[in-house]
Amino acid sequence: MVDLDPKTLLVLVPALPLAGAILTVALGRLLGPRAHWPAVLSIAAAAVAAVTLLVGLGREVASSADHDHAASPVELTPVTLWQWASIPDAYQPAAATGLDLGDDLTAKAEGLPAAIPFTIGIDLRLDPLTAVMLAVITCVGLLVAIYSIGYMHDDPGYPRFFALVAAFVFSMAMLVAASNFLLVYVFWEAVGACSYLLIGFWFRKPSASAAAKKAFLVNRVGDFGLAVAVFLLWMTYGTLNFHDTLLADGSPLPGILGMERLADPSGYVAGGVGTAICLLLLLAACGKSAQLPLHVWLPDAMEGPTPASALIHAATMVTAGVYLVARCAPLYVACPAALTVVSIVGATTALVAALIGTVQNDLKRVLAYSTISQLGYMFASLGTGTLLGFTAAIFHLVTHAFFKALLFLGAGSVMHAMGGVIDMRRFGGLRRVMPITAATFLVGSLALAGIAPFAGFFSKDEILASLHARGWPDAHTEHHDADPHEGHAGLDLPAAAAFQAVSFRSESDGSAGGADESASTFRTLYWMSLFTAFLTAFYTFRAVFMTFTGPTRVPDEAGHHAHESPPVMTWPLIVLAVAATVSGWWLFSTHALADFLAATPSLTAPAVAATATPHAFHLDLALQGTFAAVAGIVLAAAGHFGRRSDGPQPERYLGPFETLFAHRFFIDEIYTALIVRPLEFVAMLSAWFDRSVVDGLVDFVARIPWGIGAVVRRLQSGLVQRYAVAGALGTLLIVLMLAWRLRG
Amino acid sequence: MTSLESFSLLTPELVLLGAALVAYLGGAFAGLRQGWLVAILGIAAAMAVSGGQPAGGAAVASGPVSIDGFSIFVRWAVLGIGLLLALVQSGDIFAAAVSRGPGLHRGGTCEEAGTFLVMLAGMSLVGVAGDLVLLFTGLELVSIPTYILLGLKRTDARGQEAAIKYFFLSLLASAVFLFGATTLYGIAGTTSLAGIADALQAAGGTSTAGIATVLLPIALGMTVVGTAFRLAAVPMHFYAPDVYEGTSPGNAALLSTLPKLAGVVVLGRLLALGITAEPSPAGIGPAAMAHLDLFWQLTAILAAITMTVGNIMALWQRNLRRLLACSSIAHAGYLLVGVAVAAAAAATQAASPLGDVAAAELSWTLGMGGMSAALFYLATYVLPTIGIFGAVAYLGHRWPEWTATSGPRPPREEITTVDDLDGLSGTNPVAAFAIALFTLSLAGIPPLPGFWGKFTLAASALKVDWTSPLVSGSRRAWFVSLAVILAVNAAIAAAYYLRIIAAMYFKSTKRGVQADGGLAGGLAMLACLVLVAMLTVQPRGLLAAATRAGKSLTSPVPAAVADESLAQMSDAGQERLTGKPAIP
Repeated sequence: MVDLDPKTLLVLVPALPLAGAILTVALGRLLGPRAHWPAVLSIAAAAVAAVTLLVGLGREVASSADHDHAASPVELTPVTLWQWASIPDAYQPAAATGLDLGDDLTAKAEGLPAAIPFTIGIDLRLDPLTAVMLAVITCVGLLVAIYSIGYMHDDPGYPRFFALVAAFVFSMAMLVAASNFLLVYVFWEAVGACSYLLIGFWFRKPSASAAAKKAFLVNRVGDFGLAVAVFLLWMTYGTLNFHDTLLADGSPLPGILGMERLADPSGYVAGGVGTAICLLLLLAACGKSAQLPLHVWLPDAMEGPTPASALIHAATMVTAGVYLVARCAPLYVACPAALTVVSIVGATTALVAALIGTVQNDLKRVLAYSTISQLGYMFASLGTGTLLGFTAAIFHLVTHAFFKALLFLGAGSVMHAMGGVIDMRRFGGLRRVMPITAATFLVGSLALAGIAPFAGFFSKDEILASLHARGWPDAHTEHHDADPHEGHAGLDLPAAAAFQAVSFRSESDGSAGGADESASTFRTLYWMSLFTAFLTAFYTFRAVFMTFTGPTRVPDEAGHHAHESPPVMTWPLIVLAVAATVSGWWLFSTHALADFLAATPSLTAPAVAATATPHAFHLDLALQGTFAAVAGIVLAAAGHFGRRSDGPQPERYLGPFETLFAHRFFIDEIYTALIVRPLEFVAMLSAWFDRSVVDGLVDFVARIPWGIGAVVRRLQSGLVQRYAVAGALGTLLIVLMLAWRLRG
Repeated sequence: MTSLESFSLLTPELVLLGAALVAYLGGAFAGLRQGWLVAILGIAAAMAVSGGQPAGGAAVASGPVSIDGFSIFVRWAVLGIGLLLALVQSGDIFAAAVSRGPGLHRGGTCEEAGTFLVMLAGMSLVGVAGDLVLLFTGLELVSIPTYILLGLKRTDARGQEAAIKYFFLSLLASAVFLFGATTLYGIAGTTSLAGIADALQAAGGTSTAGIATVLLPIALGMTVVGTAFRLAAVPMHFYAPDVYEGTSPGNAALLSTLPKLAGVVVLGRLLALGITAEPSPAGIGPAAMAHLDLFWQLTAILAAITMTVGNIMALWQRNLRRLLACSSIAHAGYLLVGVAVAAAAAATQAASPLGDVAAAELSWTLGMGGMSAALFYLATYVLPTIGIFGAVAYLGHRWPEWTATSGPRPPREEITTVDDLDGLSGTNPVAAFAIALFTLSLAGIPPLPGFWGKFTLAASALKVDWTSPLVSGSRRAWFVSLAVILAVNAAIAAAYYLRIIAAMYFKSTKRGVQADGGLAGGLAMLACLVLVAMLTVQPRGLLAAATRAGKSLTSPVPAAVADESLAQMSDAGQERLTGKPAIP
């Protein structure tokens, strides 16, 4: 296995789950209760392949890294499986067509060949970012698949579920491995389709099919952004490939994220077009990652089976938006305005979702809003536009994948034991009923709340640090040469003596002008994020206390189910709990992830790499974060610890705010009033117009060929003499016509 | 002129004839029963001795034989189609063996197989013919075995009627074609196609050119009409529905594929008469110019009428084979679009300023793809068509409506109408899926091969003269309208194709399908299914081959210079420029 060519492995990672999905569909009925085997085994093999790739690439990065932290780009030559289709001479640079697309575009078009073919290749790439994503997707996918063996065991749609999970792992792996924007778009849609099918898995339940529809439609808004962004990218850069290619005449065609363009300081379009591309990509990311204003689908998506929620709507698919923005980092860095918007959207989403999360009584909905909120953190971090911000976002993505999958699977375990009841007010004190679930859930909550030494603490700390560095650039530069223990407080942790607490450098020179203006913005965002950290700890532990402490109560629906879940469900919980405990500490103390990600070609662009800072641990920031988290936990304990969860809620002291939060800021209602109802009215009008006017016209037109056909059919008499005469007359007519044309 | 070398060039055809002899003699004297096995082995042997594309695209000519990229493509197409058809044909035999109803003929498999092989040889000869006489002989070597096959296969009145109709009308078409060919001889004084081309292209003012101008309408009109019969194009399309209806699925598959290939080949050779291989400063003669002009106008008009008539006739058909016959007429129209585009592009190029290599190149990439598009379209049409007939042959019969109280059980009925396919998705899901995929491809639904075919045709039509303004009556206006007509026709065609799918998937029936047609038909269906699927994900290979073939026929630029634009997609071009491999 280890000796396999990395290219083969890269192809195997998506190919195996695809084969698993096909096998499950083909043999599902035959396998019956063993229908999970193809999916589980194929995803397991894919996970092994992905981890092998990650380790191999990690060694490569470690061997190529020099000591100045100036990471050199590392990636695998893209594998082109086949060229699906191609259109020669499709792209005429703006200068050649004479279209005025503005100076930005024409500037980029210079130096390109006169005409560029449009090629759609099935290209896979491997670089650190992709390797990390692949490992997370397949590993979480594997644990979720194993867990589902227990969770879904007597569902009539058992094979269908595993086929969908395998298909999802395939689509998601292709999405992060694709090396051109069109392929990204294709699999962006594919994961959306899998998500749609899984949310509506119990399609006989009206709420499930409505939720599936809602998720699909809201996502379409984002997809529209991606589609337009892809068009604009094509018009601007003449290619959709990430990697550089050679044209037929041997001249190079720099890919959008290829080495040539990355090395070129003016390689990326700024100004209106660049900002438009970035904002459209952000719209797409908002749809998939459930950010404001397109977050409304995710809480409803909890209608799907809980393992699907854990896999798709917490750990993997919703991070596609984060991946997309991180992948396009050089495009964003060229447009500081768009970057700031990313941060604002992210921090606002984090805050709003956390506020809503504080009053939810449905355990899965609490987790859903916390997912939205944590994704908001990642976007806030991406929007800083610094190398630290990008790596911190991916760091949080990884740790979040583990602890949120853990929490969801724990919630699923509770739901399984409670006979499908998930309203926290209807049960309590479950730590005595299901101790393993309770313990692992507590670990996940500590990680989510950001308590050291659990994973969420370290990743959230890095995110706060990246925001802090943008908000107070001076605090990070003035004391550049000072003793790290003075001024801006750094800390040498005894356990990691290798830490060197050197402060941040400020913004790169390119956007130094904008840094001052945006500093105040980022200060606000920092405080918002800190407050969100407090809220996060509060709602998480509110859920923990409501579910697992207080007098033991189980709802009637639980029946004989009210016991700890089977080992096939608890083992994934334990594995994830271990991961949620150690992954943050390990990845943070060794800087393995940050150094590894820094070798991603997109992040080695000069504009991004210039923002690189030495690894540091900031005691003051860590203390602030921990304080916020502990305050949240204390508040939650004061309100809920040891009490009956169906008693009066302390949240009632929020007054009108409780109504606001409980109704999710009335966003759904606003959408219904402003968008859905008017659209329904327009649809009604169009339906009437279509039925009465268009259909009438179409029916009329459609009757014309039938009418002619009736006449032509008469000619088809079946008499060979007539056929011969017709042929001879036709010949005569043709000869005469030709002669006439020749004369004329 | 004929020498041993000419024969050596014809090795594959000779192998086919040899296999035919084995089949005939073995069946008559040695008690051979596995005629179709001989046919399949013979085709495989012929494939084994067929070479690839000649290096550099240079044509090899010897006597009446001229081998170029075009004829190599045709030869491989004939052998490939032949292999699939042999499977469908042998499927017929099984159907005949189990049929209780009258009409289907049982024995004689060896004679049929031999006749079929002779026909393939004739078809391949049409491709390599560089001489009018050999061309006509090849065409007749296709026609006469067809009469025999049509007559042999079915002995009921319908089958005989179909055979007789085809016989008479084919004779008429041959006579018309021969008259046109004779007129071409009259113009040039030689039967060699190269000689005729030289005569047509002779610079203006010579007596030959004068004669040519007078005789050209007759020569062109009659040869094209004669060829239209092979294509089942207007005005010689009437026979198709009657004959398809009356014959077996295997024969229908044969009639809807091989003669169409013959038609495209002959039209291509006729068109190439006006194309000069070596541009000379004096330009091509007025006769060649007139030839090209008349050619594209004629084929464009015939294309528009043919596709419209075919599709509109198909709308009314309930009989599955009549429906497919009408659809095959429509597809002949689509094929003619490609031929017309090629002729128009050649005319543009002939009229363009001499020595302007760039302009010549541009006109190739923009419009000369017409012939290539036609060849590509032919392939995307042939596979689903054979697949459908293979499926029909495989399905064979179905039970009639019958309940225990309604008297004795009537005999099984052959599948004839669209309604007979009702509910097939439940009873024979694989066949239903295959037929659905084939019809969707024929309808041109993306991303199936049929879509790529129609797309290439429409794109090539839109590229004719695309730099000149769109003025009413201009060549560009003609071809833009032709592309529009093509699109409208594709929409009309969807109506009857979808009816087949609706019958299979949305209707239910109590009458089970027998699926007694034997495995061979099913095998042909599956082979076509696999090929269609492969073309769906990877149309480029075939497209590149068709481009090479079309270019070798119509491009005056040596193939080495005019490397096809598709080469831009070569895998070498995809290699990364910089960056090092991550894991050694």
